[in-house]
Amino acid sequence: MVQDSFAAGRRGTALPTRRQILTSAGLGTLALATPALATPALARADRPTLSFWQFYAPGGPVAAQAQWFEDVVAKWNASNDVKVTLEYVPNDQYMNGSKLQTAFASGSGPDLFLISPGDFLRYGNARMLLDLTPYIDAAAQRDFPEQVMATRKIAGRIYGIPMEVEPMAMYYSLAAFEKAGLGEADIPKDWDALLALGKKLTTHNRFGLLFETTPGYYQNFTWYPFLWQGGGGIQKDGKSSFNGAAAVQALQLWQESVASGAAPRKLLGGGAWDIVPNLASGYCAMQNCGIWGISALRSNAPSFRYGVFPLPVPKGGRPVTVGGGWAFVANARGRDPETAGRFCAWALASTKPDSVQRVADWCTRAKSDMPPRTSVFAAASAAYGSGLLKLFKDEIYPTVRGEPRVPPQVYKIISDAIQECQLGGRSPEQQAASASQQIDDYLATYSGAPII
Amino acid sequence: MTRSAEGSTEVAAGPPRRRRVTSQRRREQIAGALFVLPDLLGLLVFAGLPMMLAVVLGFFAVDGFGGYRFVGLANYRRMLHDALFLQSLRVTLLYVVLLVPSLYLSGFALALLVQRRSVLSGLLRTLFFLPQMISLVVVAIIWQVLLVDKIGLVSRLSALLGVHNLSWLGDPRLALYAVVFISVWFLMGFYMLIFLGGLQDIPREYYDAARMDGASAWASLRYITLPLLKPTSFFVLLVSTVAAVAGGQAFDLIYVMTKGGPANATALAIYYIYQQAFQYNEFGYGCAMATVLVVILMALTLLLFAFTRGGRFEQG
Repeated sequence: MVQDSFAAGRRGTALPTRRQILTSAGLGTLALATPALATPALARADRPTLSFWQFYAPGGPVAAQAQWFEDVVAKWNASNDVKVTLEYVPNDQYMNGSKLQTAFASGSGPDLFLISPGDFLRYGNARMLLDLTPYIDAAAQRDFPEQVMATRKIAGRIYGIPMEVEPMAMYYSLAAFEKAGLGEADIPKDWDALLALGKKLTTHNRFGLLFETTPGYYQNFTWYPFLWQGGGGIQKDGKSSFNGAAAVQALQLWQESVASGAAPRKLLGGGAWDIVPNLASGYCAMQNCGIWGISALRSNAPSFRYGVFPLPVPKGGRPVTVGGGWAFVANARGRDPETAGRFCAWALASTKPDSVQRVADWCTRAKSDMPPRTSVFAAASAAYGSGLLKLFKDEIYPTVRGEPRVPPQVYKIISDAIQECQLGGRSPEQQAASASQQIDDYLATYSGAPII
Repeated sequence: MTRSAEGSTEVAAGPPRRRRVTSQRRREQIAGALFVLPDLLGLLVFAGLPMMLAVVLGFFAVDGFGGYRFVGLANYRRMLHDALFLQSLRVTLLYVVLLVPSLYLSGFALALLVQRRSVLSGLLRTLFFLPQMISLVVVAIIWQVLLVDKIGLVSRLSALLGVHNLSWLGDPRLALYAVVFISVWFLMGFYMLIFLGGLQDIPREYYDAARMDGASAWASLRYITLPLLKPTSFFVLLVSTVAAVAGGQAFDLIYVMTKGGPANATALAIYYIYQQAFQYNEFGYGCAMATVLVVILMALTLLLFAFTRGGRFEQG
């Protein structure tokens, strides 16, 4: 009886068969997926939106920096048909990761992105960067000093517009100095004094001195000034110039800082660029960091008392520091390179007052940087006329040398030499010689834009 | 077929019945194939095809921006002279040698510890398995804080024991051991569960009989547990070896904690391949190295099968 009713029920209500259910499910999925698949393509064909990858997170460590990006994009979008959208990539992924490279490798690179000289040749040599020269008028081009632009140019053409110049310096904790009975007169002028002070400031729960220890092009960037101070370099006229006394002593300095126990092998936060978790937290008493440290401390450790001094030099050396900094670049194979180029020039390299002010706001309000444009010094004279920005402007900026641009293969060679000496305890002489040989081997077959 | 007095249909013996059986078998085969098809397609599209492409790309110089140039065996020749690749193989070998026995012993020991049903063992099982519930990135960040120089909890504890200024993740002599330790801590709960399944499959009667014969606990372990756990042991050894060589979990840990450093001390082959391909845009070279790594992995698997006879029970 039950069976009969069940059978009758099945026939009477005509329940769908398994095949019908599967077919319906398949068609339903297809119907749902079709608009999702079709819409972006249609949108792209109709009116593209340009994606702009950067690493200043909304709600990130310094709110004013993300806000600056949002304001720039909002102002552009208010008066242009082709809109720009910001896409955030975590800093660690951006600098030491593979997201950007992978995106380009799969043909889905962003239309606009930020680039540092350290990674410029990867994209420059692959002809992925749009020539921005036609979008910047001659007067604006003259506003960018040549030493700032050199690493953003190939054959005289501009492929990146810098938004900042970021010199490296040493930051120190005033509390640590005072507790050790030290004052401004004890600020080290040479490497020996730096190491001695680092040891003196080292305690059972604090390091006296801190350099970057994570391998990558950021570590190389922070090490280059010590190489240059002794007159060294990476290459000259297509041949390695790495194997010399300058490279050896620079490798030795970082090695001794760790071997003596004055400097840590592992850092807190994001690494040596991240000043709050290291210096402000009390993990170290002196930290090698860039000018951006001022805005980071202003935002996240406003009560922390600190000072800044120029990088000490080796005996017989000359004062020099490295000036890094990010630049706006456009993808030459993006969805609308023409508009992307116009956006870069409008944002950072127009002669109009709002463009100059935008750079000034970035360098003095959102961040703390030296400006890449001469006119910005005048537009933000108050900011550069006092405090630590004045110190950077008057004492450190004049010693700036632009961050070198080298292919990834070369920075890997240098990175290995630094790592082997700093953390592996290997002989600086041997590492410098080995790295130099590897650089020569690479340069023998290198055919890209000049390494600067 | 014949028709019964009630009019119902009966299946009769003879050729028609055989036809029905053959047809049924075929239908089952088709159904089976259809069930397997999605997995098979997934494997082909997401594993087989990329593997074949990787083998092919190993013969090209690929810049990652659409540039391909046939270079024959140049990538393979380069490997022979690449000191960092050879070093990465040595690091991988050490990692395998340290990790696989550690996982085997820790998983087995934990399974023995918690095999009895009780509230405490239930709690312990949960605790030992708990790391598996956490993202490896989170695990890496937490351990990084615990192990940081001077002020990390582990560093403070070791200082209390009189061992000062150790840098677990910053010293090339220690960093790989730290990664192995964290890998074991993370994975041992998983292997504990596998061993637990194997232990619970062994009939209690064997132990009862052994006890009646006066066998000690050690004798029971040696002559009952270990022999009957051979299939489980084989599985554990195989899976942990493959995971160690392929760097499954280690990659995440290394990526977050050391970036292959200090001084390439934690650059496993898989990490070095990743660096070459995705950081230095040497995709062709990366594929060639990946091909070599897969060949090594297959050889190891075959060796393991040969040595353990596939983990089969010894008969008689």
